[in-house]
Amino acid sequence: MTAVGDRTRGLLAPASDTIDADARVAVRDVLVARLAPLVAPLPPGAPVVVGLPLLRQVRTRPETLAVPDEPFAWRPVFVRRSLGLAVVAACARGRFRNPLDAVGPVMTEAVDRWRETGWRTYHWEPWVAGLAPGARAVVQAEAVGWASSLWAALDWSQFDALPQIGGNDDSWACPAAHTLRLKGRPELRVPLAAAPSADRHPGDRGAVALVSLTSGHPPDAWREELAYLALVAALGSPSRPVPARVLGLWPDAGAGRSVEVDEDALSGAADLVVATVAAVVEARRPVPV
Amino acid sequence: MPVMDIERPRVGPAPRQGRVAVPEGRRLPDRAAPSPVAQSRYRGWEPLSGDALLQRLRVTGRPRPEARPELSRTLRALLESGLEPACTHGFDGGPASPGPDVSDGPGRAPVVVTKDRLTRVLACEVHQGTAEFGTRPLSVALACGALVDVLFRQLVTVGTIGDPMEDGMAALAVDDHQSDLVAWLGALAGPERDELRAEVERQAGGLRRRWPTLDPAWLPRTQETLRVRSSGGAVELSARVDLIIGRPSRDEGSVAMVEVKSGSRRVEHRADLHFYALLEALRSPAPPFAVATYYSRTGELDVDPVTDELLVAAARRTAVGARRLVDLARGVEPDRRPGSLCGRCAILPVGVLGPWTVDGCGDADRRGDGMVEGGADGGVEVVR
Repeated sequence: MTAVGDRTRGLLAPASDTIDADARVAVRDVLVARLAPLVAPLPPGAPVVVGLPLLRQVRTRPETLAVPDEPFAWRPVFVRRSLGLAVVAACARGRFRNPLDAVGPVMTEAVDRWRETGWRTYHWEPWVAGLAPGARAVVQAEAVGWASSLWAALDWSQFDALPQIGGNDDSWACPAAHTLRLKGRPELRVPLAAAPSADRHPGDRGAVALVSLTSGHPPDAWREELAYLALVAALGSPSRPVPARVLGLWPDAGAGRSVEVDEDALSGAADLVVATVAAVVEARRPVPV
Repeated sequence: MPVMDIERPRVGPAPRQGRVAVPEGRRLPDRAAPSPVAQSRYRGWEPLSGDALLQRLRVTGRPRPEARPELSRTLRALLESGLEPACTHGFDGGPASPGPDVSDGPGRAPVVVTKDRLTRVLACEVHQGTAEFGTRPLSVALACGALVDVLFRQLVTVGTIGDPMEDGMAALAVDDHQSDLVAWLGALAGPERDELRAEVERQAGGLRRRWPTLDPAWLPRTQETLRVRSSGGAVELSARVDLIIGRPSRDEGSVAMVEVKSGSRRVEHRADLHFYALLEALRSPAPPFAVATYYSRTGELDVDPVTDELLVAAARRTAVGARRLVDLARGVEPDRRPGSLCGRCAILPVGVLGPWTVDGCGDADRRGDGMVEGGADGGVEVVR
């Protein structure tokens, strides 16, 4: 078995240990109790949206937290994930054999659909439609590179059922402070078989594993970052099982690491969230004159 | 796994030539007109094209390197041992933090080692200190390199290049890192702009005629980033490769890496390739089987099969250079002894070498020999 095969087999291993509803509620209640006083000083209309980029920014570049965000403008790197996911989905469904074949048709179809119906599946369609061929090629090249990394990282023939590729972000609004929202954006949600020993009840939805692909290097808090994705999924979709594991891929570094999600992992992720929110609130605190 | 590799040439249809789209009224000549220098140097020599170019890349005459964890460990050990004296002390003079991935926190940014920084610091430590990112003087040569890079990327990805200048400018315009260059190009005077356009069109024509369409099953990908950390995260080796072909390696080397240069062949280009090979060997189960430089000005293709010896030499060179970079980052004074390159140095007019400067070192026409301007990260190269 190759490294890719082993990685995929590990990803698909049956979920034996599931976090029960009481444990999930306990994690949620503790998190709410810790976050509420932190965000209390924030003025209304100043939302804090936590995601993986903010978790990293706090640890690596805290001095930039007080710097206002630049106005959003589309760039190829902002398109590559969503276009790359659509490309991988097209390959996984057998429409195309590889990302380079898929990227042109997938992008053109999205733009044509927007032109015909006005519907933006990916949001970038109008921007891409207005690009000159040279700039469009950059967008496609970025997406091909991104999609190739994900496509080549797993042995797709091992999937009995196709993973959910992309899809809506997981999201959870803190009930004690609606200005605070956690967002998680896994690349794949992979259905898992339940272990024979696992307690299952009629009507249960199956367990899933998440896959996250990130540029750069695994950070020192890679466990907590991966578990964060499971935490947001658990909080945002209480009727679904807590993801059983999260696989992180860092293709730049050729690294892949996996976390089995248990109560400790969720607690570690919750600690990271609390530390991040505390740093953001502190950075936004007005400087006394 | 629905991914093929380029490990073994197969009997089958020859790779197609690049899908050439020539806008109406802009039909290019069948053959590129080589520069006068190239004419005299390469009389009787024909650049490889199409299937022959691909075969040159695929068939190295050596067995493919196998995935061997012990080789990877040896290379890491060479790097770590070379860096040990510098990295046993933190940047504040205290002991470095132990363990892996310790450089993630604030104020502990790793020393980033790129091929250009490595080459510069090994050539001249003073040079390294004065020629950092973003300080390269903009020139027609540098602009040509940037444009050819994006056009090559376009050709690999979509298979066509329309009007080279229009496509190239459009590509640079969506890259924030190139905003200075785009502004500079916008203000370029007519004759210089014409010169640039002529050279870019000539090189783009060569790319279109010679580069085969790569089988998409080989997962050709452009501008791929490679990152490897060493010494507990105190050093990060980083590269961005113009083209990688082949699925990521499993049991043996399955990828080839290509760097495109729009300028003249220089000795350090080989070392750049070996640096790429080292990074791929460290991040993947197996090294690449080949690394190559494609010179778009002439159509030359230099291919190096990757061997253990090549990788070990690259690791030793990288360790020496990285250690010097770490020392400089810690505030150690640069070594100011003169070397053989001082006579061609672009920064010597500043007088940084003091009494050691060679005769005539301040001549303006010596400026830009490539030490400062050449081989910049971000895919910008120099034409000479």
